[in-house]
Amino acid sequence: MNALFITIGQNLFFVFGLLACAGAAAMVLSKSAVHSVLSFLFSMIMVAACFLCLSAEFLGMAQLLIYAGGIVVLFLFVVMLVELTKYKEKSLFALQTKWSIPLILVAMATFAYTMKSNLFNAPASVALTLPPDLVQGLSVSAQNAQSVSRGLFAGFLLPLEILSVILLVSLVGALVLAKSERVA
Amino acid sequence: MISLNVVLFVSSLMFFIGVAGVLIRRNVLIILMSVELMLNAANLNLIAFSRQSGTVEGQAFALLVMGFAAAEVAIGLALVVALYRRKDTIQADDINLLNG
Repeated sequence: MNALFITIGQNLFFVFGLLACAGAAAMVLSKSAVHSVLSFLFSMIMVAACFLCLSAEFLGMAQLLIYAGGIVVLFLFVVMLVELTKYKEKSLFALQTKWSIPLILVAMATFAYTMKSNLFNAPASVALTLPPDLVQGLSVSAQNAQSVSRGLFAGFLLPLEILSVILLVSLVGALVLAKSERVA
Repeated sequence: MISLNVVLFVSSLMFFIGVAGVLIRRNVLIILMSVELMLNAANLNLIAFSRQSGTVEGQAFALLVMGFAAAEVAIGLALVVALYRRKDTIQADDINLLNG
């Protein structure tokens, strides 16, 4: 039993990743939309745990806040707004299912063949580093959020500003699109 | 320790589940969630490569991807609500006005 726990602890990333994939499969296959959203929530929490296993602490917490806190609640509200019960008698899957399943299987086989060549089998665990002019007063291995923010503002300043404009546009666009026509 | 192949395996599995969700489901809400799933698989890859090369650029870019995903979800859900108001359905097969 103890040896089992030790083995699981060493492969914690794999466990969390498989749980995330199981949640994703439950999301795709479940009948009710609310069950789908809850499986999506489970999957997102497990992905956050994967990020923590990869020692990306800040991104794990951001994943929890953005996905589990924001996006899932948004999806739940839309499920509540949109009445889904009247389509219960209709078929769950789209018309092109019988074509798309073989397509997905072929794509998976191609990817598995690529990975079989062991292209990336290096044990991936290098400590994070920053360029020397950004490091001052910071222990990079211990302070993940500070290191990521310094890297972000050093190399991705313009994309960050563009992202802020895009978020503003999406805010206005969502308001315009979802506005009821009776008010207008 | 976690080898990069394991991360690539998990993220490719998650990506293909997302592709399957987009292709086989009729409900637009579930299609949107599957797109989110694919973005998350890409994020997982970015973080894994950042960890392998020891640079923080991958993690910074993953943060940007999260922001874009949030904007995309806001627009997508507003479209779903507008679609439901106008066409009274959110089933992808019923929205076939462009069908020649």
